[in-house]
Amino acid sequence: MIRNQLLVCAGGACITSGEKSVKDVLVDELKKHGIEDEVQVIETGCMGACDLGPIVVVYPEGTFYQKVTVKNADLIVSEHLVKGRTVGELLYTEPTSEKKARTSGDIPFYTRQVKRVLRNCGAIDPLSIEEYIARDGYFALGKALEMTPDDIIQVLLDSGLRGRGGAGFPTGLKWKAAREANGSPKYVVCNGDEGDPGAFMDRSVLEGDPHSIIEAMAIAGHAIGAEKGYMYVRAEYPLAMERFEYAIGKAREYGFLGQSILGTGFNFDIEIRIGAGAFVCGEETALLRSIEGKRGTPSIKPPFPAQAGLWNKPTLINNVETYANIPQIITNGAEWFRSVGSTKSPGTKVFALAGNVQNTGLVEVPMGTTLRELIFDIGGGIPGGKKFKAAQTGGPSGGVITGDYLDMPIDFDTVKDIGTIMGSGGLIVLDEDSCMVDVAKFYLGFTVDESCGKCTPCREGTRQMYQMMERICDGKGRDGDIEKLSRLANVIEDTSLCGLGQSAPNPVLSTIRFYEDEYRAHIYEKKCPSHVCKHLLIYSIMPDKCVGCTACARQCPVDAITGEVKKTHMIDQSKCSKCGSCYEVCRFGAIRKE
Amino acid sequence: MELDNVTRPVGQAQPLSDEDRRFLRELVETNRIEHHGRLSYMDIMFDLEHRYGNSLPGPVLGEVARLVGTSPAQLNGFVTFYTMLSTAPRGKHVVRVCTSGPCHVSGAPAILSSLRQLLGVGIGETTPDGEFTLEGSSCLGICGVSPALMIDDDAYGNLTPEDLPRILDTKRAGGAQ
Repeated sequence: MIRNQLLVCAGGACITSGEKSVKDVLVDELKKHGIEDEVQVIETGCMGACDLGPIVVVYPEGTFYQKVTVKNADLIVSEHLVKGRTVGELLYTEPTSEKKARTSGDIPFYTRQVKRVLRNCGAIDPLSIEEYIARDGYFALGKALEMTPDDIIQVLLDSGLRGRGGAGFPTGLKWKAAREANGSPKYVVCNGDEGDPGAFMDRSVLEGDPHSIIEAMAIAGHAIGAEKGYMYVRAEYPLAMERFEYAIGKAREYGFLGQSILGTGFNFDIEIRIGAGAFVCGEETALLRSIEGKRGTPSIKPPFPAQAGLWNKPTLINNVETYANIPQIITNGAEWFRSVGSTKSPGTKVFALAGNVQNTGLVEVPMGTTLRELIFDIGGGIPGGKKFKAAQTGGPSGGVITGDYLDMPIDFDTVKDIGTIMGSGGLIVLDEDSCMVDVAKFYLGFTVDESCGKCTPCREGTRQMYQMMERICDGKGRDGDIEKLSRLANVIEDTSLCGLGQSAPNPVLSTIRFYEDEYRAHIYEKKCPSHVCKHLLIYSIMPDKCVGCTACARQCPVDAITGEVKKTHMIDQSKCSKCGSCYEVCRFGAIRKE
Repeated sequence: MELDNVTRPVGQAQPLSDEDRRFLRELVETNRIEHHGRLSYMDIMFDLEHRYGNSLPGPVLGEVARLVGTSPAQLNGFVTFYTMLSTAPRGKHVVRVCTSGPCHVSGAPAILSSLRQLLGVGIGETTPDGEFTLEGSSCLGICGVSPALMIDDDAYGNLTPEDLPRILDTKRAGGAQ
């Protein structure tokens, strides 16, 4: 008889925090107390609160233990399970009220979320197809196989689902185009090349709920008339590959993939294809070339993949998060899907919170949620009492949302209006110490590296822009640089072939739009207002605070600091390499950075 | 690779052993069967890297090009496009430090410079004992525990420079985390 279940988060992040050893301790302790037959230990997918890992949840109570280590994991068994006492020291403490949260339902990070895409992540064992089925898994496939392809596509059109990969194209229209395209065979492809730095929702779904993607791809196969699916996943995600591969095997065993699925005569199977570190392969035509075994360079659209995709055959390609919505839409209907979100962007969106924010991790909220709710209510605000400056969305293809727009509902269209994009949902919070010129330079550097080289404006233009940005950050900015940057940015946008090039200048354009004063300070005053750009900093010693401890002089790698013991020290500006080590080492706050 | 069905003689062929040839033939054939005639080039490349010390030697690529019916230039173009593949020799373990935004702001530069010091090599270089190759990596998707790195298939997060010697030692001894 099982009386308790221990859910141990085995998401990618918790594994790095020592989840495996914690699980081993739990299993050993259960044996030691002779209750291994009464308590089941289940490793689940990502529970979302990555900074609290490793996480262990005890059911049926739902007690949420966080930051469990090998040293205290035994308490969960000896105290909670044997003596029935909650282990106070492992509960989450709400930072502002200092109240202890007993279950995830008491933690603001969780209570404000609406879990649809992530509904099974952290709730079931991703290696168990039975657990997926117990949560209505593969019900949608059964239902879809009794529907006509046109009816399925109509449900998607009615639902208003838009592609979660970034562009927000209506999914139903894509399916319709693939359905109506002439040519055989047709292919279903899942884009799991989540290259956007800071976004990891696709990884979590593939690792935590792989069957939902298999089910959705099979539904897609029936709807467009394809018998073959390809899952394209990055080699940076070995765990996702492993669990997805395992799930495919199980689905075949249970007859959800293979010949005559559920006895209907419909055949469908999925194969994994691997990407190996090329960001541009997230672009759909580049991804298709990569599956074909070619260099991942994008091609001109039209023809769209729906007409001529893999091996020139009609191909439906959707992102992981998009697919993860499909089975629930089929099961619950279009109306249900539209019950949350905004009119033009129904449903939920998963965001990956990262950067200068208290709670990092994955959060799923209705479309139209404001940035304030995301960052302050769910994310717990900015650590260290610092002020919010901006949120970067859409990664290297996006831009920034400033404090003025904290109360703007976020969906595909609203963010576009202010010059950024939703992207795949990466949301990097920047506090007041961030230099926006430096941030833009960083993202631009990323695109310079990742440009496939096919189009000159993207290959050479981004490089030119990057050199200008470097100059500006090095204090060598010139009058007219801002105008030059904007002009070149517009040319790159207009003349690049694929989304990567067209959106590459976004980080620069967006920061110029909202933080032109910072650019001007760099260029005209040779100052970095946030004290980030190294070459624009001046370190000096404040005589009234310096006690002459010699710590800075000893630390200085270029011997730029002189002074005798117990006497005020001096920095020779001509020698100073601006490494900042004196600033770090001074215990008296006597080094001024400006 | 279907772009080009011309099979050219492999010019730079260095003597591959008979065993190499047999291995390559079987590898390509198995791949062809497993993937129903549509070869998965990336799987072939990872299998090759597994056998040839994390790299893809020219003569091996030449033979594979012949076996799959494409030109060595085409295959070389494919291999050099993807940053995780390498035609240059690499160490037993590839250390991939995530250099993406979230890791960058939470301390990846310090991790990278510590690794440079500990290993005594720069990015793209291999330690003289042939144990480690240091590389930068695109986002590893574990941003919640940034800064992060991956050695072979094992990921490590919430890193501080102090964690690194222990991680390298465990890898050197052949263990996981």
